[in-house]
Amino acid sequence: MKEVGYKFDVIVVGAGPAGSAAAYTLAKKGFKVLLVERGRMPGTKNVFGGRVYADPLRDVFDGFDDSAPIHRWVTKERISMVSGEAMTSFEFHTRKKTSFTTYLTELSCWMAKRVEEAGGTVLTEITVDELVVENGRVTGIRVGDEKVSSEVVIDAEGINRLLLERAGLVPKLELRHAGLGVKEVIKLSKKEIEDLFGLEEGEGLAWLMMGEVTGGLPGGAFLYTNRDSVSLGLVVMLGEAVKGVREHISRYVEALRLHPLLERYFRNGRIMEYSAHLVPEYTWPSLPHRLYADGLLVAGDAAGLLLNLGYNFRGVDYAAYSGYLAAKAVEKAHEMGGMTSENLSVYERLLEESFIMKQLRKFRNASKMRENGRLYSTYPEVLNSVMDQLFHSPYEVPKIMEAFKRARKGRIGWLDLIRDLLGMVRSI
Amino acid sequence: MMRKPMRVDDILNNDVWDVDYEPHIRVDATKCRECDEKPCLLLCPAQCYTLVGNEVLFSYEGCLECGTCRLICPHDAVHWDYPVSGRGIHFRFS
Repeated sequence: MKEVGYKFDVIVVGAGPAGSAAAYTLAKKGFKVLLVERGRMPGTKNVFGGRVYADPLRDVFDGFDDSAPIHRWVTKERISMVSGEAMTSFEFHTRKKTSFTTYLTELSCWMAKRVEEAGGTVLTEITVDELVVENGRVTGIRVGDEKVSSEVVIDAEGINRLLLERAGLVPKLELRHAGLGVKEVIKLSKKEIEDLFGLEEGEGLAWLMMGEVTGGLPGGAFLYTNRDSVSLGLVVMLGEAVKGVREHISRYVEALRLHPLLERYFRNGRIMEYSAHLVPEYTWPSLPHRLYADGLLVAGDAAGLLLNLGYNFRGVDYAAYSGYLAAKAVEKAHEMGGMTSENLSVYERLLEESFIMKQLRKFRNASKMRENGRLYSTYPEVLNSVMDQLFHSPYEVPKIMEAFKRARKGRIGWLDLIRDLLGMVRSI
Repeated sequence: MMRKPMRVDDILNNDVWDVDYEPHIRVDATKCRECDEKPCLLLCPAQCYTLVGNEVLFSYEGCLECGTCRLICPHDAVHWDYPVSGRGIHFRFS
């Protein structure tokens, strides 16, 4: 192994939201930073659902509002329970600008550009083969037969975290700790999107669907409106999907696109891209593995930092903010005299004190709740049956409780219902 | 747009790859022969795993690099690497 002569203060692996946030923060502080990315451009290996919360990114990147690639501000939230050919929806519309839609590919490119502007070196088309560990300390990365050295490596390689596994630092990701997301990006014109979804220019819709839209697999479906396309897809719990999948997973996405109540939205569209990605689904409260070692910090999906509430997902902003905190930890360890495990352990404290761990801890039971099969069949059916009785009884309309009793009969007992309700109230 | 389900091959036609000369995934076919479950056939989003007779046929060219196959394989038959420098899937709108 040849050693590259130049030594960096920090090497960051992966130019996704976590890696770029870390590299940017450190480059700005004057550290010699190398950010390496295996894709041809930053973002070409990244996939997300479709929405990002802006404030955590504002905290990290200066001038976020001047130039970030924002497609639409999500002003409309819609949550639907689907069964058969019926859906009951809950909609919230405002004019506030808190989260936005974009392509993660575009956003990652934008972030990596900020790294360069801040003085960091960004190298694409570099696949790291392994973390170099010498005397129990990470001292750099190996690319082919070359070693590049640094004081510390920030691993933001993504959910598959092969490098961490190879270095013996983490076990293989367990099935029950991963979700599989599959999506189609469908091209529509700006005007079509605004007309179809009742939006004004710059306004966007985030639409979460539960029930038959995932073909009985525990998980959910989503639709996000981009500038001139929509992202349509589903996330299923991988541990459950292995047991319950009955046809090819792409068929589930196609069934979603062709659902009798949804097909109308995409009739004039065409598929621009088909993508898939794993999603962290940890059962908290504890961290999945240690996120620091001698000469190493772990951020983003590789650290498993994503909040899934079932009705909302926080991944990109959590990733970016964890990268930012990793950078802060490097700064602190530098002040304390070096990148030892002990000094870098401040990273976990920073995470604990931030919204990230507070939120993950607060919602630690959310994933357990999502394993409940009744959420995907029984409840959408009951709800839609009630609505059907209330609005499609041509002569005699039942009282609401009467309709509910009829809908409930044979589907779910009171005990289960009360238990599920309590579980839901407690977990989310 | 198509009013009936599209084949995954046709859907994948919209994607862009710079295919590596060497496969980044290696599958131990002897383990596949003894596998009853074969979850890869249905859960690989790009349908890189297909059944021809009793053999699991694997092609890496259309891989979306999600990593699902590595996790779901009940016999640890999938050896998965990141494709080399800049190769593999090239997402543009995801």
